[in-house]
Amino acid sequence: MGRRPDSHGSPPFFPSFQPNAMTFLDLVRTHMTVAAHPNRPRRLTMRRFLPYLLSLPALLVCIGILIPFFTAVYYSTLRFRLNLPMMKGFIWVDNYISFLTDAAFWNTVQVSLVYALVTVTGELLLGLGIALLLVRPTKINNAASIMLLLPLMTAPALAALMWKLMTNPNFGILSYLVSQLGFDNFNWASDPSSALFTVVLVDVWVYTPFIMILLLAGLRSLPKQPFEAAALDGVPRSFVFFRITLPMLMPYIITASLFRLLDSMQQFDIVYSMTQGGPGDTLMVFQVQAYLEFFQYTNVGRSAALLIVLWAITYALSNIFIKHWLKLRERAHGPA
Amino acid sequence: MFEKGHDLAAAFVRKQIGRRELIQRAGQLGLGVAATSFLVAQAMGQAMAADFDWKKYSGTKLKLLLNKHPYVDAMVADLENFKMLTGMDVSYDVFPEDVYFDKVTAALSSGSSEYDAFMTGAYMTWTYGPAGWIEDLNAYIKDPAKTNPNYDWEDVLPGLRASTAWNGVPGGELGSADAKQWCIPWGYELNNLSYNQKIFDKVGVEPPKNLEDMVGVAAKLTKDAGGPYGVGVRGSRSWASIHPGFLSGYSNYGQRDFTVTDGKLKAAMNTAESKAYHKLWVQMIQESGPKNWSTYTWYQVGTDLGAGASAMIFDADILGYFMNGGDNKEKGNIHYAPFAANPAATAPTPNVWIWSLAMSSFSAQKDAAWYFMQWASSVEHDLFGARKMDFVNPVRASVWKDEEFRGRIDKSYPGYLNQHDASAPGAKIYFTAQPLFFDLTTQWAETLQKMVAKEVPIDEGLDQLAASVDKQLEDAGLGG
Amino acid sequence: MERSSSLEKAIRGILITAVLLFFLFPIFWIFLMSFQTNEDILRIPPSLFFEPTLQNYSALLTGKLETAAGSLDIAFMRNLGNSLLLSTFSVLLSLALGVPAAYAFARFKFRLGENIAFTLLSFRFAPPLLVLLPLSLFFKQLGLTDTYIGLIWVYQLICLPLILWIVRGYFEDISPDIENAYRIAGHSWWRTFRRIAIPLARPGIAAAGLLAFIFAWNNFIFALILASASKQPVTVGALAFVTASGIQYGQIAAAIVLSVTPTLLLALYAQRYLVEGLSLGAVKG
Repeated sequence: MGRRPDSHGSPPFFPSFQPNAMTFLDLVRTHMTVAAHPNRPRRLTMRRFLPYLLSLPALLVCIGILIPFFTAVYYSTLRFRLNLPMMKGFIWVDNYISFLTDAAFWNTVQVSLVYALVTVTGELLLGLGIALLLVRPTKINNAASIMLLLPLMTAPALAALMWKLMTNPNFGILSYLVSQLGFDNFNWASDPSSALFTVVLVDVWVYTPFIMILLLAGLRSLPKQPFEAAALDGVPRSFVFFRITLPMLMPYIITASLFRLLDSMQQFDIVYSMTQGGPGDTLMVFQVQAYLEFFQYTNVGRSAALLIVLWAITYALSNIFIKHWLKLRERAHGPA
Repeated sequence: MFEKGHDLAAAFVRKQIGRRELIQRAGQLGLGVAATSFLVAQAMGQAMAADFDWKKYSGTKLKLLLNKHPYVDAMVADLENFKMLTGMDVSYDVFPEDVYFDKVTAALSSGSSEYDAFMTGAYMTWTYGPAGWIEDLNAYIKDPAKTNPNYDWEDVLPGLRASTAWNGVPGGELGSADAKQWCIPWGYELNNLSYNQKIFDKVGVEPPKNLEDMVGVAAKLTKDAGGPYGVGVRGSRSWASIHPGFLSGYSNYGQRDFTVTDGKLKAAMNTAESKAYHKLWVQMIQESGPKNWSTYTWYQVGTDLGAGASAMIFDADILGYFMNGGDNKEKGNIHYAPFAANPAATAPTPNVWIWSLAMSSFSAQKDAAWYFMQWASSVEHDLFGARKMDFVNPVRASVWKDEEFRGRIDKSYPGYLNQHDASAPGAKIYFTAQPLFFDLTTQWAETLQKMVAKEVPIDEGLDQLAASVDKQLEDAGLGG
Repeated sequence: MERSSSLEKAIRGILITAVLLFFLFPIFWIFLMSFQTNEDILRIPPSLFFEPTLQNYSALLTGKLETAAGSLDIAFMRNLGNSLLLSTFSVLLSLALGVPAAYAFARFKFRLGENIAFTLLSFRFAPPLLVLLPLSLFFKQLGLTDTYIGLIWVYQLICLPLILWIVRGYFEDISPDIENAYRIAGHSWWRTFRRIAIPLARPGIAAAGLLAFIFAWNNFIFALILASASKQPVTVGALAFVTASGIQYGQIAAAIVLSVTPTLLLALYAQRYLVEGLSLGAVKG
């Protein structure tokens, strides 16, 4: 589909009002034009302090907890292994430098990124598809959307335990069904060739509902008018979807995938419960490695350095997301 | 009625009457089994009280950190007696095993004084000891002012006493003269065969005599049993996959994890004998192990045996013990046999897991905590747990000689006593004590997974493993 | 969107069925398991037919579990209560802090505004593992170890960023005109926020609150590290059925069913607001 001029008179962000809300709004609009200049000085002081007043409590509450974050940054500059106390010492960035030549580290970076990419993409596509299927607020669709939240409500650690049972070659219902379909040697999480598929499957099962519910709420709150206009003009539906629905939904998509991306980069429960990072190092994601380094090897310095790298990666990725989000917002609403 | 119950229990403790008679006569008095057990335990407590001031710390409150385990259930069932004996109060936090050691590490690394004593395995003390989190218990055991005269430390199986004592020097021999007693053995497990007699009869095989035999028997079982696979062993990416059957068999060939020369450690997993052993082991898993082997932990290995999905396991004897009871489908069909992997070996050399009690260095009431520890590891409590509860395997030689305990086990667990008696002399920790234990064994398990998945040839995989291990030892200042 | 042929309806129906099958079959299977003994669950091959038993539920509700190794005491109902308490108060606090902040970021462009918003989001990047050890030291100094208050505070790291960023999106989608008009009509800022802005953003607040509740509910690492056994949530409680003498799958399944129930009820309740939002939420600018 080329960039053809938008001749149908319904630009993507057409400000629109629902007819039944018109009366009140019209009234409001009229008022506004009449009294456009309320008493300025008071409003200005208000404007200056109010936002800080509103946002600082949230910030303070979080910062309080995050004081330990700086302790952790300090740990990452130490040679600090709890069971070799005599070796403790300040080594600047040596922990980080040692990563550069460490094949296991690069494997971890790769596995984590692949894992995050595959799960977020899969969940986004699937979640969007389901949200579109359920967009009409019928009783059945509403009930289905709530039922679909059930996997999300099951704690991932327990969900993984159940999936491990369901994919067990002896007692597992899924293994049984798959073998009935003729795949006798499909070994799920235990085989390097299918391990990633299996944990991604569980991740998709658990977290797609998260994206689905956010996009569903977003879809349902989109203004109706552009769609009605497009329908009247007989605009092809693919065009409506790609040029109207998707752009309008984009801020919701970004928020939802951002949160998924953050959690997915930090995946621990599912991978650890199902394979402990194995087989071999197939699924050795950041958090599993850092968990082992800390809780089993008690290598605090190395564990902290690993997690700081993870933190930096997620920070950079979310920065990109947020920039896009803000840009989209600005385009939608104009600069405030 | 309770008076008579007391007398009865006292008679039982003095071994004047047997267990059956006790239960029968208690029943006549209208006492249930639980009430009787309680009275018995109480009577044992009174027997302990001789010649020692148990009430010295009366009023003190202790707090324990415990793992959800049958040993803990046995201890809790008996705990009222300790409270009565000492006048102390004991509370405890029990955490599921899945998260237990995380909790211990978190509590100790933050220097929390909340817990006075806690459960641990010997391997963990190789971290906790050097980190300065636990006490050397020799200071208590050897002090007659602190330890009751009937404690009888020498009664604890020597292999277990040695395995829980380490001088803290990387590569230092366990149980050496300068070793510190980091924890007290409480209950333990050794690794042998548990097998399903029904399946063995059906296929017409005998318990294998050595590893080569096992590879053959397991293959035959897989082929002819009509569903169940031959042999269950752990395979998850964890130190816990190396320590049971795998290391027991490995040690039986005289192989070690490291060589120690002049205090420097060097990897020893890539000798010719080790490579031959790994080949057999990997072949066995590929041919007749569980299909999902690389995700198999204690739980899956046990579950499969109990549900008839596997014909035998080379794992902890008490895992086979648990699978012979409860609501397991194959209960009553599980038999036990000692296993020496090396045809040339004279006896099994099972590596062991020892659930032990350790004392937190951050405890504000160490002497009182020691009162609890010596009670919980006493002959009396060990005997109570072994006879009445699932406190197997007991760690005391005298308990293994107890007729009632032996009778109970022999009746329901065919071959169990035999496998234990044949293996106990060689049962100890065969790992080299050193601070990188968890890192290096996890890597070993990872290598094993790659070998079974045919991602790396065995010879090459072991050479790579040894090289990587040597580098890590050197980086930590332990190698040379 | 209104036009739909019968073919399209059929395709939709099939797709929805397939989606429900994929997402709900494991739940259905877990539900069935919760009425089975371990012996039934561990059959080869697995089977749909079994004699239902209530023993898993009765074990959870009464706190007595019969296993191969005798009778065990379990604290599952207490764990459930802890989860309820921790999740509820964490979400309430997050809403109280997060909704006004979200409003501020959506309505006012102020110096450092975006920086503060991003910083708040970035709390979500810090892997819990990274802060746990220092945090437990910090809590010890503050005397917050093993307190509900301390845990609710830490749970803000999970709930607050989520609520803040989701609700912010909704506020931004509501035209400021309505609020301005209401203000001009002589109402205070606070009243406007309460009477106009919050009701309009209700679907977003409901969705965010529900999701935050679920994430708080599913977290257990904070409580595990920072609190004693008496304050552990339901996930830790359910893991107690992974015992040395075998995994009690029936009990875990029943525990999952019980632990999902309060969240499901909350979701059904919140659904009213999600749907109600449609008529008002469509008022966009």
